[in-house]
Amino acid sequence: MPPIIEAQNLTKFYPPRTKAVDDVSFTVDEGEVFGFLGPNGAGKTTTIKMLTTLASITSGSASVAGFKVAKDPSAVRKSIGVVPQELTADDELKGIENLVLAARLHHVPGSEIAAKAKDLLTLFDLEDAAGRRVRTYSGGMRRRLQMAMGLVHSPKVLFLDEPTLGLDIQTRTKVWDYIIRLNKDRGLTVFMTTHYLEEADGLCKRIAIIDHGVIKVSDSPARLKEMYGGDVLTISVDGDQDLTGFLKTVPDVSDVSRDGLIYKIKLPRTERALPVIIDGVTNRGLRITEISFTRPKLDDVFLEVTGRTMREDEGGGEEAWVQNLNMGRSTN
Amino acid sequence: MFGDDLIALTGRALRKWIRNPAAVLPGFFTALFYLALFGNSFNPTSLIPSSIGGFQLSPTELQSIKASILSQTFGGAATYISYLTAGIICLILVFNMAFGGIDLVLDRQLGFLNSLLTAPISRGSIYFSGVLQNMVKAMSLAFLSFLIAILLPNGLSLGKGFGVLEFIGVFGAFGLLAFALSCVFTALALSVKSIDSLVAIVNFATFPLVFTSTALFPEAGFPSWLSDISKGNPITWTTDTARLLMINGGSFTSSQISNLINYSIYLIGFAVVMAILGYVAARSALAPV
Repeated sequence: MPPIIEAQNLTKFYPPRTKAVDDVSFTVDEGEVFGFLGPNGAGKTTTIKMLTTLASITSGSASVAGFKVAKDPSAVRKSIGVVPQELTADDELKGIENLVLAARLHHVPGSEIAAKAKDLLTLFDLEDAAGRRVRTYSGGMRRRLQMAMGLVHSPKVLFLDEPTLGLDIQTRTKVWDYIIRLNKDRGLTVFMTTHYLEEADGLCKRIAIIDHGVIKVSDSPARLKEMYGGDVLTISVDGDQDLTGFLKTVPDVSDVSRDGLIYKIKLPRTERALPVIIDGVTNRGLRITEISFTRPKLDDVFLEVTGRTMREDEGGGEEAWVQNLNMGRSTN
Repeated sequence: MFGDDLIALTGRALRKWIRNPAAVLPGFFTALFYLALFGNSFNPTSLIPSSIGGFQLSPTELQSIKASILSQTFGGAATYISYLTAGIICLILVFNMAFGGIDLVLDRQLGFLNSLLTAPISRGSIYFSGVLQNMVKAMSLAFLSFLIAILLPNGLSLGKGFGVLEFIGVFGAFGLLAFALSCVFTALALSVKSIDSLVAIVNFATFPLVFTSTALFPEAGFPSWLSDISKGNPITWTTDTARLLMINGGSFTSSQISNLINYSIYLIGFAVVMAILGYVAARSALAPV
């Protein structure tokens, strides 16, 4: 099956000398949740703008749902749903009116609008609030309404730009549930950008980390953590016999350090090596008195790839402005 | 599809407008205050003293002089408000059109415009819905102002024979001006990125436009250079057309008929040119960057 999104050598140049996206290539498979991570100004928003026909492509090509973005933007627009990071639902309209407006602007046949609206209001738990004006909604309700508006025409691909920006952790978790359900139950392809690494880790089948307009790495979160991080296994033993030599011979172990009776062992995945280590220690007449391990986080991968943590990059001017604006328009 | 998109977008804007009393009521009071305050405080005939150099005018003489001034300088209007109404309505149209674009700038800043641009709708519908919504809002206020002017004491006194055709003529002229200005200011609103920029440009453009026209003052009082400028001003064409129809009702001299025909042609031409220029500018503003 051909990829539903395909970018080939995608480049965006803003005169006089800003190359926002530099020769980027990637594919997204149908039914996949694909995450685009990067610091502020890395090029992720520009990439999403090119894919959703908001920005022109300087060179290279992109296709979405089988249509070339540059040649057939109208067909691309019919195939995509876009949920921007700004809260664009109209404050003065009711929830249901916003949804109907979105349906009409996406040319959903009039006879289907009511059924689709009802289905989405149920899916996003908004039936009771549908008749209220949006200005009375909380930030989470607005975000859910916005997602419903992005889906009202049954798009093939949903673009989510920072879907949980500015939401509290409970609401964020709820939004994650909706994304998982949309993907699992309805087979929807989701292309999302996010600042929250745990969000990408939990939701995305594959992620790409972009920095300075260039994709640095792209793979599944688990593979990236293996490649750039790995587990750290800590064991304590009850004798002072040096196990460093043995531990270094265990397959996959990349580093061992000793502090008295405590060993810190770096390895890609603990599960594979743990039985070998336990056997080896026991065979040498020692007993393991304490054992623990830590899993790497996507933050470690991000740090390794971009040389900075995501947190250092939070609070960029434009995103901070959008966040303030969104929070200011929410009732809580 | 263009028609459906246009109706959906215009409907959204008008629904918001109607639901927001803070947006509707000031328009009503502006019309009332302009007519009531300007109509009385700017009334030049009220400046004529009842005694000049010890010479006392009788009330009949004073009234006769005032009527003579209104007749000769103010196009034969029965009251000063009769003269002023067309100009005040033009003023209301100009300022409503000019600042009507603020909603569009807000739509851009709040991200709604980008949502429209990723939807499969005609770009023209975004532009023309902006034009249409501002026209509907401003023309409603124009009609309201017309009614207020008639109901005010010493208010608008329509000429003998003023009927449906004259009414259509008056509001046709207002409609053409509103459409042309809406095209210009909608394109401008879609092109600028901030409300500050829009307000600065609007202030720069509107005041000279109003004060070089015959909206508030008769051409007879203008110096010749201003008189020449005012003849090429679309607000003059509109005001003079509406004023002639309101004051004269159904009877005109041949030169007045000639003026009406000329102004109508100018206004139609102006509206067509502004629509084309505005559309081209809006397409460019809405194109992917």
